[in-house]
Amino acid sequence: MENLSIQETKYTPQIELNKDTGIISMEGKSYPENTFEFYEPVMKWLEVYFDGNAQEKTTVNLEIIYFNSSSSKLFFDLFDLLEEASEEHSIQINWIYDEENESALEAGEDFKEDFETLTINLLTK
Amino acid sequence: MKPSKSKEKKNSQENVSENKLINEVEILRKNFDDTIDKLLKDIKRQDKIMARSDKRQRMEYDELQKKLHEVQELQLAQKELMDSFIKLIAGAIDAKSRYTGGHCARVPKLSMMLAKSASECESGIFKDFKLETEDQFRELDISSWLHDCGKVVTPEYVIDKATKLETIYNRIHEIRTRFEVIHRDKTIEALNRKLKGEDPIEVDKWLKKEHSKLLKEFEAVANANVGAEFMKEEDINKIENISQRSWIRHFDNTIGLAYEEKQRVLRDNPSTPSMEKLLSDQKRHIIQREHFDHESYKKMGFTTTVPKDLYNLGELYNLSVQKGTLTQEERFKIEEHVMMTLQMLEHLPFPENLKNVPLYAGAHHETLIGTGYPRGLKKEDMPIPSRIIAIADVFEALTASDRPYKEPKTLSEAIKILSFMVKDQHLDADIFKLFLQSGIYNTYAKEYLKEDQIDEVDIEQYLN
Repeated sequence: MENLSIQETKYTPQIELNKDTGIISMEGKSYPENTFEFYEPVMKWLEVYFDGNAQEKTTVNLEIIYFNSSSSKLFFDLFDLLEEASEEHSIQINWIYDEENESALEAGEDFKEDFETLTINLLTK
Repeated sequence: MKPSKSKEKKNSQENVSENKLINEVEILRKNFDDTIDKLLKDIKRQDKIMARSDKRQRMEYDELQKKLHEVQELQLAQKELMDSFIKLIAGAIDAKSRYTGGHCARVPKLSMMLAKSASECESGIFKDFKLETEDQFRELDISSWLHDCGKVVTPEYVIDKATKLETIYNRIHEIRTRFEVIHRDKTIEALNRKLKGEDPIEVDKWLKKEHSKLLKEFEAVANANVGAEFMKEEDINKIENISQRSWIRHFDNTIGLAYEEKQRVLRDNPSTPSMEKLLSDQKRHIIQREHFDHESYKKMGFTTTVPKDLYNLGELYNLSVQKGTLTQEERFKIEEHVMMTLQMLEHLPFPENLKNVPLYAGAHHETLIGTGYPRGLKKEDMPIPSRIIAIADVFEALTASDRPYKEPKTLSEAIKILSFMVKDQHLDADIFKLFLQSGIYNTYAKEYLKEDQIDEVDIEQYLN
């Protein structure tokens, strides 16, 4: 499998999926025109990654400043996937937010509450 | 037995298929339950996502509103700062000249009165002229406030040149001292003649005549120094004749000078004792024009002829100025203020809504027929606001006192002069009419003119 890198645009975040370091990061805004289509390669990559290609430790850095409702739904799906994978893999999730961005913090707190078995750290930038 | 056996077999077969069926139903039910569970979970999750999204959107909306408010406050603060800066520049120019103080602040008042009236007028050239937005008014207001901003670089001695011999100091005093010297020379000459045995009565008679001639000549020079009267050709000849008188300079005129002046004085090869003319034009009186960028002058579209020298301080040269106090070099220096205004304003990054400020502000010395300065524009090159500022500028200058040697005009005199300028197509006839018909001349006069300046004006004579 290959590493995956998607350049940031005005409406979509910078995405770096690295199988060699086990670091998965998304940074920026998330307002894609078609959210599920946009994230499809990401979800597919993760499935393949956790299916025998994962590093000993996987770190997921999410720094999403603003996002739309369908991105929110997608993040639930992503966390579902991570929750399932966490049964067999060690996964650390960092939800990074700007101190002044209250809604980003609240979103992080919501995910943490919903996915009790996952390790989600809320970190200020 | 056989049938019973077969019946048994049949029974057990039935049992198996029954169990299988039950199992299948069970599995289906479980699948169904699972699906329902998942659907319920999904619906719950969707509801949650929706609720959270709504909350998030509200927060983001609040944040956006807050930011928008901040931006608006900032814009307002910047606008206020910009306005204050504009007034600071205008105030500095007004403060610079003790004669024309208040000009930069009063021209906007008159311009805005005219602009509002023109905008409300539905006929003639004003039919399509409408100032509707705050920005349009602001554009004109800023233009009027800054129309003379180039004057910050005009030397005070030129702006306020009150007499012809004035540089930073009125040189008439220096020349009067020369008259005193010649006066005394004559007294000494008389005493010498008496010592030599000439008839004292005859000598005294001669001396009295010489002294009174000198007094008259000084009076003629002193009168020529004042800019209020027109100098006729014969007046100039008279001054030239007087200038031929001489006196002997015994002192070194190259000492006690700063470097620049010393270099100028040295050009005349001064030595002592020296026979000097009472009045003269010398090389030292010429201040050369240096570092003048003719190319960018052309590029700016300026068409006014640039005099060769920066200044000519020649005594005869200055006293021979026929009208006012300014030499052609000084007049150019004054006219340069509007070129400076244009240069300054055209270099400012005005936003789209204020982009006409240089055009409005920099055309107030243009005429309608291409004879004005600095670009020789014509009526069609100048939008109405430019022409409004031009009239406001002249009227304010006339009723205040645009030159130190001129008294402020009365209301009727000022309007008469405006009418001449309209006739000569220097000012716009329609705006002049609007100025009179709307009664703005009266409103403005009541507010800004002294009581004794306000006299009866028969506007009818100008309207027909």
